[in-house]
Amino acid sequence: MNASAAVAKLRLEGVTKSFVAPRTGQQTLAVTDVNLEVEAGEFICIVGPSGCGKSTVLNLIAGLDHPTSGRIEKDGQVISAPGADRGVMFQDYALMPWQTVHDNVGFGLRYGTPGRHMSPAEREERIRHFVDLVGLKGAERKYPHQLSGGMRQRVALARLLANGPDVLLMDEPLGALDAQTRLILQIELLRIWGETAPRAQRKTAIFITHDIEEAVFLADRVVVMSSHPGRLRAVLDVDLPRPRGESARVNPRFVELTERIWGLIRDEAYRAIGGDVETPADEPRPAT
Amino acid sequence: MSAIPAAPDRWQGVSRALLLPAALIVIWQLWALSLPAGSPAPAPLKVVATFFELIVNGGLAMATVQSLGRVLLGFVCAALLGIALGVLMGSSRIVRENLDPIVESFRPIAPMAILPIAILWFGTGTPTALAIVAYAAFFPVLVNTVHGVSRVDRKLVLAARTMGVPTLTILTRVVLPGALPSILLGTRLAMGVAWTAIIAAELAVGAKSGGGGSGGIGQMMFVFYAYNIDLNAIVVCMIVVGVVALMIDRLVRAAEHRLLPWRN
Repeated sequence: MNASAAVAKLRLEGVTKSFVAPRTGQQTLAVTDVNLEVEAGEFICIVGPSGCGKSTVLNLIAGLDHPTSGRIEKDGQVISAPGADRGVMFQDYALMPWQTVHDNVGFGLRYGTPGRHMSPAEREERIRHFVDLVGLKGAERKYPHQLSGGMRQRVALARLLANGPDVLLMDEPLGALDAQTRLILQIELLRIWGETAPRAQRKTAIFITHDIEEAVFLADRVVVMSSHPGRLRAVLDVDLPRPRGESARVNPRFVELTERIWGLIRDEAYRAIGGDVETPADEPRPAT
Repeated sequence: MSAIPAAPDRWQGVSRALLLPAALIVIWQLWALSLPAGSPAPAPLKVVATFFELIVNGGLAMATVQSLGRVLLGFVCAALLGIALGVLMGSSRIVRENLDPIVESFRPIAPMAILPIAILWFGTGTPTALAIVAYAAFFPVLVNTVHGVSRVDRKLVLAARTMGVPTLTILTRVVLPGALPSILLGTRLAMGVAWTAIIAAELAVGAKSGGGGSGGIGQMMFVFYAYNIDLNAIVVCMIVVGVVALMIDRLVRAAEHRLLPWRN
C-alpha cells in the first residue's frame, strides 16, 4: 500500500497569522484562511503586492513562525519547528560574511543536521559537487563581499541544495539582481531544480516573487495573493511545456497568463501607489 | 599638459614626521645646558645615558615585564568575563534590561577609585594591581560585545536554524563570529586602558607601601620620585610606557587584521 501518494507534500489548512505590535498591543492580520495543497515535485510561485503576506506564508512553512490558527503539514506531519528538510533561501541570501564560498556552501553539512552522518571526505565531495553545479568553480576561497550579486545568489542556491532538503522555500531570491542576470538565472534555476528530469526526481519548490512574468516562466502553478488582510486570491495552472527556454516568453499562452494575473492584482497595485488613482481598466497593460 | 606626480616617497614622509620632534629635543638639550651644573632637570643626553644604565642593570626590563604580565593576566580575566556576560546580555533582552542599570552605574567609576577597597581587600601586591586592570578592561569589552551581539544580522541566525544547527552551535558559529569585529574593537580599547591603569595603580600602590614590594614600571617611577629623585629615570620610564602602549595597539590591530580576513 502506498500511502504517500495520497498525502500532499505540503498542506496548508485555514492558516491564519496575526502579529501583535509590542508597544501598542495592536493586532495586525498578516494572512488569513490560507488553504493550499502542494504536490511533490511541484514548482509553485506566489505573487502579490507587497504586504500581502507572501513572506509570512513562507516563514510559516519553514517553521520559523507558528500560525495563529490553522495547520501546516508536510507529508502528513504538522510542522512545528525549522528543519533541514525544508531549505530556505532568503531575499538577501543570508550568507555568513566571515566564511568563504566553500565554507558557506558547507555550513549546514558541517554544523547542521544534513551532514550528521557524513565523513569529512563525503562532505567535501558534496560541497565540490554543488559548487560546480551552480558554476562557482574557482571562487571557493572568495568571501561574499568579493562576489557580485549574481554570484552570491549562486552560493545561496548551492548551500540550499547541498543540505538536500526535499522542499525548497525561496523568498524573492532574484529580487536584488539586474534584469539581464535575472533572466539568465531563471533558466538556470529551472535546470538545477530538475526541469529535464522526470517529475518524481524534482524537488518541491515554493518561490516568492513580485514579478509576474518570472512567476509564470518558472511555475507549474501560480498562487496570487492580495493584501489587507493577506489571503489567497486565485491559483492558476501554468500549462506551458517543459523544459522552458527563452521561446516560452513569447508563447501566446505565456502572454495570456501574465495578462490574467496582472488583471487580478492591478486594482491593488494602483491603490498601493496612488491611493485613489482611477484604474484604467480598459487600457492595455503597460509593457514592462 | 600635466606633470606626472612623483610616487609618494615613504622616507620623505617619515623624515617630515621626525623633523619637529628632533628640533624640540635639540631645544630641550640647549635649555638644559644653560642651567647651572648639578641641576636635577632632565636633559636628552642624560635620559639616554640613564636608559642604557637601566637596561644594563636589568631593572627596566624586569619592571616592564612585570607590568606587562599583570596587564595580560588582568586583561584575560576581564575579556573572558566581559565576552561571556556580553553575549548573554546581547542575546537576551531580559538579562540586558536587568543588568544594564548596574553596568551603567559602575562604568563611570574610574579604575583608580576602587584602589582603596582593593588595597584593603587584596593588600599592596599583584592581586590589587590585577583587580584594577581587570576592572578597567572589563567595561570596554563588555559594552562592545553587547553592541556586537545585538547587531548580528538576525537573518543569519534564522538561516542557521533552517539548516538544523543546534542553539549552542549557532552561538559559537554565527553569533560570536558575527560580533567579532565589535569584540576585537572592545579588546583594543581594553588593552589601552588596562596599560594606563596598571601604571597608575603601581604608582599609587608604591606610595602606599613605601615603594617596596609591588614592582612594575609604575613602582619604579615612584622610587625614582620619592627616594633617588632622578627625573631623568622618570622620563625614561614615561617613554617606555608610551612605546609599550604603541606596541600593544599595533599588536592588537595586527591580530584584528588576521582574525577578520573577510573585512579587508
